[in-house]
Amino acid sequence: MPMNIVVLIKQIIDIDQMKTDPKSGEPLTQNIPMRIENLSKNSIEAAVQLKEKNGGKVTGIIFGTDKSNAAMKEAFAMGVDEGFIITGYSGNNPTYTASVLGRKIRELGSVDCVIMGNQSADSYTGLLPGLLSAALSMPLLGNAVSVSLEGEKIKIKRVLDEKDEIVSAQKPCIVSVTQEINQPRLPPVLQIMAAGRKPINTGQAEKGDFEMPKVLSNLAPKSDRKREIYEDMDKGIAEISKIIRGEMK
Amino acid sequence: MKFLVFSEDGNGATGLVTKLRESGEVDSITLGGEESKCINYGSKTVTVLKGRAMGDNSLKAIQAMNPESYDKIFISSSPLGRDIAGMIAATLKSLVITEVFDFTLENEIIRTKRFFYGGKTILEEESRAKVITTQPGAFEAKKVDSSSPLNFVELEESKISLEEEVEKDRSGTDIESASILISVGRGIGKKEALDQVKPLVEAVHGELSGSRPVCLDYKWLSEERQVGLSGKKVKPKVYIALGISGQIQHIAGMRGSKIVIAVNKDKEAPIFQECDYGIVGDLFQVVPKLVSSLK
Ligand SMILES: Cc1cc2nc3c(=O)[nH]c(=O)nc-3n(C[C@H](O)[C@H](O)[C@H](O)COP(=O)(O)OP(=O)(O)OC[C@H]3O[C@@H](n4cnc5c(N)ncnc54)[C@H](O)[C@@H]3O)c2cc1C
Ligand SMILES: Nc1ncnc2c1ncn2[C@@H]1O[C@H](COP(=O)(O)O)[C@@H](O)[C@H]1O
Repeated sequence: MPMNIVVLIKQIIDIDQMKTDPKSGEPLTQNIPMRIENLSKNSIEAAVQLKEKNGGKVTGIIFGTDKSNAAMKEAFAMGVDEGFIITGYSGNNPTYTASVLGRKIRELGSVDCVIMGNQSADSYTGLLPGLLSAALSMPLLGNAVSVSLEGEKIKIKRVLDEKDEIVSAQKPCIVSVTQEINQPRLPPVLQIMAAGRKPINTGQAEKGDFEMPKVLSNLAPKSDRKREIYEDMDKGIAEISKIIRGEMK
Repeated sequence: MKFLVFSEDGNGATGLVTKLRESGEVDSITLGGEESKCINYGSKTVTVLKGRAMGDNSLKAIQAMNPESYDKIFISSSPLGRDIAGMIAATLKSLVITEVFDFTLENEIIRTKRFFYGGKTILEEESRAKVITTQPGAFEAKKVDSSSPLNFVELEESKISLEEEVEKDRSGTDIESASILISVGRGIGKKEALDQVKPLVEAVHGELSGSRPVCLDYKWLSEERQVGLSGKKVKPKVYIALGISGQIQHIAGMRGSKIVIAVNKDKEAPIFQECDYGIVGDLFQVVPKLVSSLK
């Protein structure tokens, strides 16, 4: 059965490249390139694999800025068929983000499955799946390490702390995926070039009246570690076993 | 103030309730079978959700408890906890602050601390958020003499059906309470190499823990031993990192350790910026020598 799949894609600054000021601890975000957030990439891969298996269409949505085109093109190259960029994203407020994304998904009409990351790699919020599940009244299949379509049902393997579960629900559903679900593909150059020509739909987010938290500070934690590093193994071992013995008393 | 606390596994409620009971009255919720873990921490009541808990039916049960009447709702972060937090936030149309590891309360104003930029910074915020998710193990738990009265609620049928349950081999370890942790990373190379690390664990009467790839991708250790942003937050007296590069998501889980010791063959490994004592070398040479030196 062909599926109508929506995938939610977050764009972030490349946090692996980002450094913090050694003195002030301020994050140095200037001139750091943007990229697709890790779990969003896993989500795209999961969505495209579902489409390849069952037929259908993948629609990507980014609540981002006017700089989100590159992320959408990369998503196209990975196999996303249609893309919507909603501009106006200004920071991490899950309630607002969910309201903007929820409205867009409703607008799209008949959707079988909405796929997104379980916790995004920069803000690590993990709230959107639940927020959207409630707002769209779609059951949430959360923390998936595999996902498949079985007739009218969507089935996932869900990783919990104490056990793993295979659970299913009638579509439409929300599926949140973990990093372990797949290895996102690296699209070939030809596909990337073709993706560059594909049109992207853009629109602006409606202003929402949502309380934003007041940021008091956002700094690298201070590390007071001693950093006594031994390249002479035997000397290091002698020193370290003294320290450990002291702590074992 | 009145607080509602949800913890999927019961353990997440212990420290949280301990902290909250200073500022007001706490009602706790946990799942059937977990209640014994959280009845001695001063909750006014403990509600036990019986049956198969999924997001949708747990939400219904919590809604029946009149969440609007509470000043704040705290949810211990776990797969089900996060799902529910989002759903409650949507129904209450409230701001949510997530993955909080420290907070102070001043009436309805809450000051929270959480990691940002993948663990590179700490974001300190002030808000009137009504829903807060907290990191398990972030707050110290202290028992009280009395036990909380239990209140059993039968969960409704969920829209999500369970097809199969796969038990995991849980050794029942609790790395958060170990005073010395020997933590292994991808640098040990293969599961069999754990045998070469175990003599050190025994010599220091410690516990084994690991980085995410070791616990989740390769499953050389069980998931409950994972340290990091998405794993356990540990605060042992001594944390010994063997073959762990020290990526920020790992550091976020062991920053509270009193003394950090690192062994890595790469002099440039970031773990050496986050340790007190480090040895540049092959862990398979260092570990046996360290064991004999400790004897
Ligand atoms: C959203 C998100 C959440 C995450 N959460 C976590 C988390 O909770 N916990 C976590 O750990 N990671 C987490 N990660 C992953 C993290 O980014 C790193 O990939 C991971 O910590 C690396 O693990 P490692 O240090 O074992 O492996 P590597 O980075 O591969 O490091 C292996 C190290 O071993 C050294 N080595 C190799 N052989 C030897 C030897 N014989 N002797 C001595 N040293 C040797 C190497 O020099 C290297 O430094 C998360 C990532 C994301 C995106
Ligand atoms: N601004 C956004 N636009 C589109 N999708 C998003 C956005 N923010 C988060 N998501 C999706 O929601 C997942 C979980 O994010 P979070 O709940 O913020 O941790 C991400 O992995 C994305 O799939």
